[in-house]
Amino acid sequence: MDQMSEEDRKRILESSPVGTFALMSAVIGGMAVAWLFLYYGVFLPRG
Amino acid sequence: MNGAATKKLALSHLWVAFAAFIVACFMGEYQVLERSGFIPALDSAPVYFASVSTHGVLMAFVLTIFFIMGFGYTIATASLKQPVWNMPLAWGGFWLALVGVVLAAVPLLTGKASVLYTFYPPIVAHAAFYIGATLLVVGSWVWCAIMLVMFSQWKTANPGQTVPLAMFATAANAMLWLWTSAGVALEVLFQLIPLSLGWIDTVDPGLARTLFAWTLHPIVYFWLIPAYTAFYVFVPKQAGGYLFSDEMARIAFIVLAVFALPIGFHHLYMDPEQASGWKLLHGIGTFVVALPTLVTGFTVIASLEIAGRLRGGKGLFGWILTLPWTNTMVLSVILALLMLIFGGFGGIVNASYAMNAMIHNTAWVPGHFHLIFGGTTIIMYFAIAYYLWPLLIGKALFSNTMAVTQLWLWFIGMAILTTPWHVLGLLGQPRRISSVVYNNLLTLAWKPYEFMMIFGGLILLGSACLFIYNLVKTQLNPTPEAVAGEIEFAEPIHAVTALPEYLNGLKLWNKVIAVLMAVSFGYPILQFFFMKTFGSSAWGY
Repeated sequence: MDQMSEEDRKRILESSPVGTFALMSAVIGGMAVAWLFLYYGVFLPRG
Repeated sequence: MNGAATKKLALSHLWVAFAAFIVACFMGEYQVLERSGFIPALDSAPVYFASVSTHGVLMAFVLTIFFIMGFGYTIATASLKQPVWNMPLAWGGFWLALVGVVLAAVPLLTGKASVLYTFYPPIVAHAAFYIGATLLVVGSWVWCAIMLVMFSQWKTANPGQTVPLAMFATAANAMLWLWTSAGVALEVLFQLIPLSLGWIDTVDPGLARTLFAWTLHPIVYFWLIPAYTAFYVFVPKQAGGYLFSDEMARIAFIVLAVFALPIGFHHLYMDPEQASGWKLLHGIGTFVVALPTLVTGFTVIASLEIAGRLRGGKGLFGWILTLPWTNTMVLSVILALLMLIFGGFGGIVNASYAMNAMIHNTAWVPGHFHLIFGGTTIIMYFAIAYYLWPLLIGKALFSNTMAVTQLWLWFIGMAILTTPWHVLGLLGQPRRISSVVYNNLLTLAWKPYEFMMIFGGLILLGSACLFIYNLVKTQLNPTPEAVAGEIEFAEPIHAVTALPEYLNGLKLWNKVIAVLMAVSFGYPILQFFFMKTFGSSAWGY
């Protein structure tokens, strides 16, 4: 961290948090799939 | 940070909170053992329900209220850089709340208040329980008043300036708690205390459950907001970075405070006293309140990503590895978010109008709320304690390694405890039962899950003991490394110089809450006075 140039530091601070977007997309997608599985795979078959 | 008097005030609150916590942890392990039926000598429904009630009250009311008050005093003085407004009043609130706890503890521990922490009538407890609980809540109202006065005084003294985010969140929580606790206060004052004292012969359980539903959901956000506050104002700095957005944090706190309130009927989906239209309205609101949690998740993870990249992390996920995993605050937030994902999913299932029927009143529900409360919320209370303790007492933490181990154990224990709990719910195990020993094929299938829960509970109990041991050793350490630092609040990437009043004040949002509450609870409560209803006789003590 100490060796980082001011230019790199500025670039990081101004960059888009792509990793966060990817993680959040995976979490939301996973939740949607899990919800659909529970609804169609567990809830509806029970009548 | 703040004077010795404030530190003493905060520490007193925090010690009461954690004393309640450790007692409740032992009770929790006893309960899971008793319920399993593996040790016949433990079988006792009266003791079990006395324990469950005490465990719930200690965790949900005593730990939380005292922790939030102690944390709030620390945040207010540190962020506003001004002393506690009216210190004698603050101590008055503390002692009032503590007397309330002692008063409620007597019937709880003697089995005369085995009404669980939701205390739904017509089951009734000894009057001392309700009076004690009332004093506890009134003590917390003193704290709310002090927070809002300090918030208001600072704004008056600093016109046009931005209220520090930590104080904005704390004041929003004080406002939320005043609104939240009003529902249960009405129930206790006008229904339960008169019933327990014999002033009235019958009680309307429908009205009581409606009033409790007013409180039952937003109380979760009252507990969570200190955790979210730490997410936003401590974590980015501890990770070595910056807060991604101060404005998004404020929006999240506002939406939490406003939409946590008018949504409680998702606890009443199966109840007959409210019409389906009202339940649907509250159900939609429940999904709205998921938004600030998503915003919080995004903002905090983005802040961690910035910190990880500033520490040399590369690639889409390489920044995760460069985060300081041995920093208790950073580790806690990562584990808290993981538990929030699974707990949040469980909450979405609970809130789904149709699917709720599948898990209603099953073991799924305590599995869910233990994951959200015992998991996400409590692990952040640990992190806050580890961060504040050295600053409050001026001594370095006894052992950071022990703290990191404790946090991992809490996470592992919570996963092992709550996963089978959810599965048991799907297998049909009811909640609020003291025994599962029916010896048929269905209940025999529950046994392996019960065993796992005992194991998970033991890990949690060990973790809780390590936590208390570390704090005690820190406080009693005769040769400590001195600490004279201040609380360090995270800076946003883009400094906030000016904000519109709706992001810097609470008056508008207080009015919005009043309108939403009138719409969502007005008629559902008034209907009980428009129609002829017949109350239930009390049963219990």
